Amino acid sequence: MKKFLLLISVLALASLASEASAQIKVGNEGQLTVALESNNNYYAKDKTLEEIGLINPDDRTRGNFGSNDYLKVDYRLGRFSAGVQLDGYLPSLYGYDAYEYQQRDSKLTAFVTKYVQWEDQNWGVRLGDIFDQFGNGLIFRSYEDRALAFNNSLAGARAYYNFNNFVNVKVLAGAPRLYDVRSKNLIWGADLSVSISDIIGWYDGMVSVEGSYVGRRQKGIADDFMLSLTGVDGDILNMVSGRANVEYKGISFRGEYAAKLNNDLYNPVLPAAKGNVVSIDLGYNYKRFSASATFRRQENMLTNIELRPLGIGGGNVMNYLPLLTRQHTYSLANLNPYRGSSVHTGGEIGGQIDLYYSIRNPKMRSKYWNFHANFSMFNTIDHEAFGMEMEGRNVWLDFNFDVERQWNKSLKTTFLYSFQRWDEEINHFDSPMAHYCRSHIFVGDVTYKFNKKHSIRVEAQYLASNDYEGDWVAGTIEYNFAPKFSFYVSDMWNCEKMQDAQYGNFFYNSLGDGDHYLLHYYQVGASFTHNSLRAQLSYGRNRAGYVCSGGVCRFQPAYTGVNLSVTLSF
Amino acid sequence: MKKFLFLMTALVMGFTASAQSLPDVKVENQEGKVVSIKEVVDGTPMIISFWSTTCKPCIMELNAIYSNLDEWLEEANFKVVAVSVDDARSVSRARSMVNNWEGYTCLFDKNQDLKRAMNVSLTPHTFVVDGNGNIVASHSGYTPGSEQKLFEEIKALQ
Repeated sequence: MKKFLLLISVLALASLASEASAQIKVGNEGQLTVALESNNNYYAKDKTLEEIGLINPDDRTRGNFGSNDYLKVDYRLGRFSAGVQLDGYLPSLYGYDAYEYQQRDSKLTAFVTKYVQWEDQNWGVRLGDIFDQFGNGLIFRSYEDRALAFNNSLAGARAYYNFNNFVNVKVLAGAPRLYDVRSKNLIWGADLSVSISDIIGWYDGMVSVEGSYVGRRQKGIADDFMLSLTGVDGDILNMVSGRANVEYKGISFRGEYAAKLNNDLYNPVLPAAKGNVVSIDLGYNYKRFSASATFRRQENMLTNIELRPLGIGGGNVMNYLPLLTRQHTYSLANLNPYRGSSVHTGGEIGGQIDLYYSIRNPKMRSKYWNFHANFSMFNTIDHEAFGMEMEGRNVWLDFNFDVERQWNKSLKTTFLYSFQRWDEEINHFDSPMAHYCRSHIFVGDVTYKFNKKHSIRVEAQYLASNDYEGDWVAGTIEYNFAPKFSFYVSDMWNCEKMQDAQYGNFFYNSLGDGDHYLLHYYQVGASFTHNSLRAQLSYGRNRAGYVCSGGVCRFQPAYTGVNLSVTLSF
Repeated sequence: MKKFLFLMTALVMGFTASAQSLPDVKVENQEGKVVSIKEVVDGTPMIISFWSTTCKPCIMELNAIYSNLDEWLEEANFKVVAVSVDDARSVSRARSMVNNWEGYTCLFDKNQDLKRAMNVSLTPHTFVVDGNGNIVASHSGYTPGSEQKLFEEIKALQ
């Protein structure tokens, strides 16, 4: 708790400092920017969650305080820039792979990333940590997502050259970051994009073709008896990708085909195999109507940074195969997010469609209707697991409809209906049997502005489901004093008796048949914003479940406690 | 822990902010072409708003600006630049959603290069930028009504 108070006082000082500093100008020669993000939890005792077995006090090996912190400092002078980022896990919050899989025992962990960069008119060079992606990232993506404590930046070099907007060539090589260590494996790649429309001088639309190659060297395969049994092809993995993009008068097509050319492994129960993926995005915009559709079929394309040891969490990934379902913002609609059959099997096929329609009067901008419908569906493809042949089957299906109405400058209402059906069995065991759970979710959300400063938002949700937790209701009341303060209280109530744990989460296994807990997951919080400083303090009980960001999910264990998160930049 | 906090405090207090300008970072425009963010600088002041399809307050803020746009443009000359930080997963959805915001310049920052360069930790994050590309104000978060502050800052640039 002392640490917590110390932290609060430091942040209060920091906010004063940012206030003062904004008034001092140092001229235009060089620019220094600083950004800080700090996310802190104090884990309190919750007897109810301990009784049920949702919290095991022995799992709290790092004590009752956790803090994920990021400090980034950049300097820019003309075309030159350089920067450093310090990630501190002091220690890490519970539920982040970053901590679970790191090799050392120390409670405090820090990792430094840095770069220097020259950005000229037609070319650029960067040395140090590199964030980049080729195409959709199907064969290579290095990026950071702090909500997942994910960062696989390549430490190495990158250079690109752009010839008259016709042709852009990029090459890079480096060693990826794996949690708080630098992998000994090397990744290298090249990317070429050619703008056909620019070359032929066609400016009504856009046509481009692109191609990429990525290689990975796995160190020490020859010495690894277990790896050699899996059928991995040697230490070099080669992957290629080809893409075509067309845009013309509101119609767009983006297609990508990528392949893994060598036998590679990502799941210990599956034999090493080559892989391939097809991804197609279609878009159409016409006046107030727009539609988009995404299709993807992929087989064995998840690619790890390190083959050994396998299964070391969501941070051990060098490409990007996100879930292509709608990511909800309402808590009950997000209770059981699709987690992707590709994690369990050799592949999946599926897609989603989004339709948007808006009724607006251009002269009355404060009155409009927005309609949105979304459908997505994913199946596994025929595959082998645990030595058994398994037929592909549907593992996820959802339909969502929401309508937003801005009645006038003061009142806005939103209604959402979501139907979700998923195969609970494959989420755990990849069993040949299916066990479908179905949820119907209803959400109403009203925002009312009393005047330019005061507003209230009220949210009510209901979920009817046949999964092991049964039905839920949830509500939120939020009161805002613009632009600085916001307060909220919310509750998610599992209003129906839990089913037996057979199809439930592994973490519920201590729950006996017929046990009866109607749990409240309550939250109360406040946020303060001043320019680029934002601080949020909350207290509450949090449900165990998957937290997803950018189509990648991590498991968050249940906890009750205080959270303080602060971001600041200047 | 203490050292880290000390370091953070020292950094926060030790460095001073200058008039920052937009970095030279490439993003995609609505036609899918790669352009530099500097190309939006054309002498007109602007509001740059970072948003994503899964960020409700971001969309609320962009809608609130949209609702007021006609009235505000009568009093001040400015433009709105909406930068989506959606990645390959949801960028096609973002391209559909921007259809509702006519008059906005919409850009797509698929690998969050611009977000990183402009030190945006959380969305929504808005910047008020003068006609020469200098950042004059920066705001994190959105509460209904806080768009008024953006407008006041835009008016001060006229």
